[in-house]
Amino acid sequence: MRRYFGRKLLVYGLTFFMAVTVNWLVPRLMPGDPVASMLARARVAQPEAQEALRVYYNNLFGFDQPWWQQYLNSWGALFRGDFGISLWAFPTPVADLLTRAVPYSLALLIPSILISWVIGNRLGALAARRKVLDNTVLPVSYVLTATPYLWLAALMAWGFGIVWGIFPVAGGYSFSMTPSFTWPFFVDLLWHWVLPFASLFLVALGGWAIGMRNVIIYELESDYANYLSALGAPQKLIRRYAFRNAVLPQITGLALQLGVLVAGALVTEIVFSYPGLGSLILAAIQNKDFFLLQGAFLFIVLGVLIANFIIDVIYVIVDPRTRVGMAGASA
Amino acid sequence: MTTTTVEPLRPPVRWEALYFALRNTKLLVGMGIILILLGIGVIGPFFIDKPPSEYVGMQMQPPSGEFWLGTNTFGQDLWAQFVHGLRTTFLVGALGGGIAAVIGMAIGFLAGYKGGWIDEILTMFTNVVLVLPTLAVLFILNAYIGVRGAGMQALFIGLTQWPWAARSIRAQTFSLRSRDFVDLARLSGVGSGRIIMREIAPNMSSYLLLTFILLFGGSILIASSLDFIGLGPTDAVSLGLMLQQAHQWSAMHLGLWWWFIPPGAGITLIVGALYVANVGLDEVFNPKLREL
Amino acid sequence: MRNRVTRFLIPVVAASLLAAACTSGGTPTPAPGASVPAAPAPVAEGGAFPRNETLYTSGTQWGPPANFNPIREWDSATGTKGLVYETLFHFDPVAGKLTPWLAASGAWVDDTTYEVKLRPNITWSDGKPLTAEDVKFTFELGKMETIPYHNLWNWLSAVEAPDASTVRFTFSKANYQQWDFNIYSRSIVPKHIWEGRAEKDVLDGINENPVGTGAYKYHSHDQDRVAWVKNDTWWGKATLNLDPKPKYIVDIVNSSNEVAMGLLLQKGLDLSNNFLPGAANLVSGNFGISTFYPEPPYMLSANTAWLVPNTKKKPLDDAQFRKALAASVDTKKIVEGVYGNLVKPASPTGLLPQWDQFVDQAVVGSKGFGFDTAKAKKLLADAGYKDANGDGLVENKDGSPIALKLIVPAGWTDWMESIRVIATSARAAGINVEAEFPDYNALVEARSSGKFDLLINNERQLSNSPYTYFEYVFQLPVQAQQNTVNFGRYENPEAWKLVQQLDGTKTDDVEGMKKVASQLEGILLDELPVIPLWYNGLWSQVSSTTWKNWPSSEGSAPKSAPTMWRNWLELGGFESLASLQPVAP
Repeated sequence: MRRYFGRKLLVYGLTFFMAVTVNWLVPRLMPGDPVASMLARARVAQPEAQEALRVYYNNLFGFDQPWWQQYLNSWGALFRGDFGISLWAFPTPVADLLTRAVPYSLALLIPSILISWVIGNRLGALAARRKVLDNTVLPVSYVLTATPYLWLAALMAWGFGIVWGIFPVAGGYSFSMTPSFTWPFFVDLLWHWVLPFASLFLVALGGWAIGMRNVIIYELESDYANYLSALGAPQKLIRRYAFRNAVLPQITGLALQLGVLVAGALVTEIVFSYPGLGSLILAAIQNKDFFLLQGAFLFIVLGVLIANFIIDVIYVIVDPRTRVGMAGASA
Repeated sequence: MTTTTVEPLRPPVRWEALYFALRNTKLLVGMGIILILLGIGVIGPFFIDKPPSEYVGMQMQPPSGEFWLGTNTFGQDLWAQFVHGLRTTFLVGALGGGIAAVIGMAIGFLAGYKGGWIDEILTMFTNVVLVLPTLAVLFILNAYIGVRGAGMQALFIGLTQWPWAARSIRAQTFSLRSRDFVDLARLSGVGSGRIIMREIAPNMSSYLLLTFILLFGGSILIASSLDFIGLGPTDAVSLGLMLQQAHQWSAMHLGLWWWFIPPGAGITLIVGALYVANVGLDEVFNPKLREL
Repeated sequence: MRNRVTRFLIPVVAASLLAAACTSGGTPTPAPGASVPAAPAPVAEGGAFPRNETLYTSGTQWGPPANFNPIREWDSATGTKGLVYETLFHFDPVAGKLTPWLAASGAWVDDTTYEVKLRPNITWSDGKPLTAEDVKFTFELGKMETIPYHNLWNWLSAVEAPDASTVRFTFSKANYQQWDFNIYSRSIVPKHIWEGRAEKDVLDGINENPVGTGAYKYHSHDQDRVAWVKNDTWWGKATLNLDPKPKYIVDIVNSSNEVAMGLLLQKGLDLSNNFLPGAANLVSGNFGISTFYPEPPYMLSANTAWLVPNTKKKPLDDAQFRKALAASVDTKKIVEGVYGNLVKPASPTGLLPQWDQFVDQAVVGSKGFGFDTAKAKKLLADAGYKDANGDGLVENKDGSPIALKLIVPAGWTDWMESIRVIATSARAAGINVEAEFPDYNALVEARSSGKFDLLINNERQLSNSPYTYFEYVFQLPVQAQQNTVNFGRYENPEAWKLVQQLDGTKTDDVEGMKKVASQLEGILLDELPVIPLWYNGLWSQVSSTTWKNWPSSEGSAPKSAPTMWRNWLELGGFESLASLQPVAP
């Protein structure tokens, strides 16, 4: 078991190292100069004033040091939790913007992932080997899983928000509200949360249902199922065993899908202007705010790594075999 | 996007596959839809004499006999955009999926067949890339390097999409390499490359095809997300870009449903048809599933 | 097991959502430049702004409110200057004259001395009186090199405050036009608070809890908005007889124009200063949205969009070629196709309609240009540009091919569409123009260093004087980096001298101004250092569900500019707000 976790942690460590390096390297390959753009925004015409500003910003962003120093600095800053200063929301630190946005993203992601996983697995298990259900659940699931997140989100915003006017189309809460721990505010918050959550949930649901159905079918075909069936065990019992075994690959699937799910949440947030990381990333791209973009990237990588690790732990708890010593079997 | 499960190995494909293929509704329906859309995308542009960005008529017209999908805020013909968009979308999907499949196969075969430290390193590398959230990496790459062409976009997508393919191909190769016919080939002094190409690949050709189809669909979905965020190609029209424009120019609020429904439906149809065809193919190749 | 999970999930959602909303202060992350501190959010009656007392605006702020520093005129929170900090004068573009604001009057006592008398009984929001010392202090801040109005001190030699209500400015050279611009543009800041701030603080300080003289005070802010609350003791209520009705003004940060349109349609927004494509349909349809004009161009004009040629590059260094290019552009197609008539084609001089009196129609009549492909072809042929290889596109005089790249930033959709039209119509006349969309940063770099062929620019707004317009076109000397004006690097010492002559003309000498302007217009049309294309609108869509009496061209409605845009509150924006009336009393 120690080997299993050791291996996992090594992979995650390497991933993080790579992410930070990519993050540091890519900006230095691009055309254009963030300081120049900063100066252009300040609309300063006089050469002296411009020079003064340039020196000031170069100092602030550390562009005047040798590259290895910059690289080491970036690690140092990272460990201090310093992601630089946003150009878009100058002079707010990127870390501030991100920590403010993350709870919104999590509020969408965690429930939609967990609930869609649970319900999707149930649906898939029910559909397997039941002709009527299979013929309805499966096609619907395929349509859902093939739908681009952004399109389903747009359809829901259009239908429920604009045509029927039941739910708000944009934002995390009404502009007439000031954030506070009060009921009206909380209800408002929840009201804005429904549509983005629902569209994330629906797309993810399809994938889990299909996955579960397929795995269960294989399980029901397996030797132990046939053996049990030959012994005259009730069908219900066999199905329960099959389900338990099928949950394991679905947990692995969850780990593999995390990246896709996070990506889906990002674009869904953009459609709904939900104040999470996705909207920040859009703002960063539109305003060429590279510090913000990079900070968001590292946050996402870190989040996915942590989630992966949690899933690993759960896997070990659920699967007795890993505990006994099949170390690294599924690494 | 579907969770891919590593299925047990099956006997090599035989002619009977064709027999079953022609009787598999899922495969026929899926392939039918794809071929129709592909046909529209490939042939359609030849029947439209004006470029898709041309202002052809009245603005914000609903679908009519003249403009099949109506016009947008500028008076551009949305049918023309849709047809050209299909072309780009297929191109990005095929190219991105193809690049990912090639990388995945190269790494999967090598790691699975060679084993040992090569396997260790490649598997480690695969796992690292696998854990990285693809879209976030693409954001960074595209935003900085400035992807302005469909080919470039496909390349970047291909470069980030291969890991799960590599992983499952490695697992398949791993179990094939100890089979008798591979041992036989090895004993008769055939080189590794040849063994992979001649003995292993053909034995899992159906599996490789399925992998490519899934990568194809996945690439289309990722491309649409990139387009939507404003990191799409600037020299072409794609279905994702149509969606982005519709969103940016408030098609929803102005009630121009003909602007944002067709492109999204197009993507869903293509990807859905790919997945359904994939299941159909799976059933054709795998007798166990046929009984269903 | 699954039931347990579902039951457990609901509280998870609830908790994280609430946590999300209430952590607006963020975790304490020590970083340079210290962030805006957590908004204490003084709750306005049950956590919400009462709809009938609140004016919701949008269209100015594209990022979270970053600071309340009136020195940072380009990125301070909407309303910092205008609602909180005020200027000595306002400028009324309709009447074309200055309106005394903090100043009771201002006059030239001799050719190089300007004297301002302040109004009595004006107090800062902390209760201290406004005095001449504050004005002196504000202008002397400009002695710091990084302050935007530093160059004022090239021709201003001293500011004195002989008594508490008099400020005297002495000039080494009197630039009358520029001076008028300065006295309605510079926010006066309180000396007793700003004194002792270092240069870095003055330029980059956040200036939380701003203390100004204006009609509104800081209420709260969040990532997505800034809220102002009415200052009940504002001096203007008695002195100017102005009493803005909205108790709260909430300016919403734009995430996109699309969101603004949604809010406007759902009556959650009263004034949208966003560019909303299809706004014409909103006005004619039954959406309850109106604009300044009920018919095209719907909006007042705010600035001119130019096609800027790089006059240091071949063949764009040839005025004849630039004229041919100008004649080849189908501006009407841009106005109608891209903008749906939300903008107006520019007059050949590009001077905004508000400056019509300075346009010499005789000069325009003899030298102006218009869309005429045949004429463009003829101009090219006459100037010696021929199509030698028969591809339908002309070559340079020496036979080398011409390939001009026209650039606008990627993502600026209306401009991207516009330059596609320009490229198509230029090619029809035989000029090889290609549309390209570099990143904004790359474009800015190319623009300031002169490494481009053609671009579109509109970075000069309406002002008190056509001087600012001509300064943009002709300013000399051309530097290695051209950051704000004369991107085309056009050098014409004679024209620049005339611009300075215009600057030195007294603002009440309209005839004198016209004479110089006429000469400059002649040079502009002969040389076309920039090619004026269309007037961008002062985008403004309003909803009359909560507030009425919006400015409009019709009837007795106010004629001031309905806008919250930066630096526009002094140009009539504030007056528009002050004339609003609640719909439900």
